[in-house]
Amino acid sequence: MNKVFAAMAGLAGIAALGGCTQVQEPAPICNMAGIAAQRQLVALPAAAPNEPSPLLEMPLNSVSITDYTVMNKLFVRNVVAQRTPTGTVKVVSQIVNCTDYPLNVEARTQFYDQAQAPSEQVSAWKRLNLAPRTFNTYSENSIGTRTVQYYMVELKETR
Amino acid sequence: MRRLTFVAAAALLLSACQTVQNTAGTPTTYVDPSTLGPVKGVGIESQDIISMTDQMMRDMLAEPRLGNAATPPNVIIDAEYFVNESSSRLNRNTITDRLRVGLQRAAQGRMQFVGRHYANMVDAERKLKRQGVIDQGKNPAAAAQKGGDYRLGGRITSLDSRDSKSGMTQRYTQIVFEMADLESGEIVWSGIYDFAKAATDDVIYR
Repeated sequence: MNKVFAAMAGLAGIAALGGCTQVQEPAPICNMAGIAAQRQLVALPAAAPNEPSPLLEMPLNSVSITDYTVMNKLFVRNVVAQRTPTGTVKVVSQIVNCTDYPLNVEARTQFYDQAQAPSEQVSAWKRLNLAPRTFNTYSENSIGTRTVQYYMVELKETR
Repeated sequence: MRRLTFVAAAALLLSACQTVQNTAGTPTTYVDPSTLGPVKGVGIESQDIISMTDQMMRDMLAEPRLGNAATPPNVIIDAEYFVNESSSRLNRNTITDRLRVGLQRAAQGRMQFVGRHYANMVDAERKLKRQGVIDQGKNPAAAAQKGGDYRLGGRITSLDSRDSKSGMTQRYTQIVFEMADLESGEIVWSGIYDFAKAATDDVIYR
């Protein structure tokens, strides 16, 4: 019985500690635990045709933070793609700096064709200055027109 | 049978332990020109040139008058009207050459490129052909060299500041690209690339 009480007391203590971490932060508030929970895992050991890729964190039509140093500092608010009047594709993404410090990051985009093969060379790294607790917008245009069907954005800290 | 079981178990154990060998590669003198190298200062560097030309190329292709005209326009991209007024020592051709080559490879017929910097070379060959010194070659004779519809212009400017106590230098660099209509003078497209860098190291650009 004592053991049950001890266990319950322990759980209550952990819950209290968890409560202490719920500090109210000014906007924007980034739920990093939620982002981590959304990451999906694939069990395959290597890339094979018509099989899911083991590159778990880099799905198409998304922004992937590829740098460990800023993984829990940035929040990708959204990413959209649209056709320009000339038929090229423009990818636009809003990146939020969740920290109280300025951050310099850079991003690049790879565009893909219908077969999910790269349709052109990857874009050059584009710098983005993020003041503390602000967001900035990253955008990139494709070179190709109708051949472009998918995209993938990589994001890392500028060094 | 027991040995086989042991080997299978060992293999399973090893595969379960496999992780990314997250260590640096073999050192080399080659560096990635698209990112910051070991020698870094406050001026325009390779990663800036690669980034700015890539940005401008993609942006031009999204401009309907350049990238989606009914008749592909003749464009001239060279350093003739691309001036450097900054404190950075720089060969302007590095920027305009990369932009022209990148754009021509990417445009795939959406624009036509006139090599005005080769005008003297073409003129000399045409004269020899007209004089009968050499034959016509395979291409049909043209009435004249191609004229340009649009030509690249631009300016590089900078603003320098220095802390005399710490010796730290900061430089803001701004690079403006403009495409001008060669009949009306209208600027049909423009792009800007800017950055500020601060450093204490004494890098010399040559």
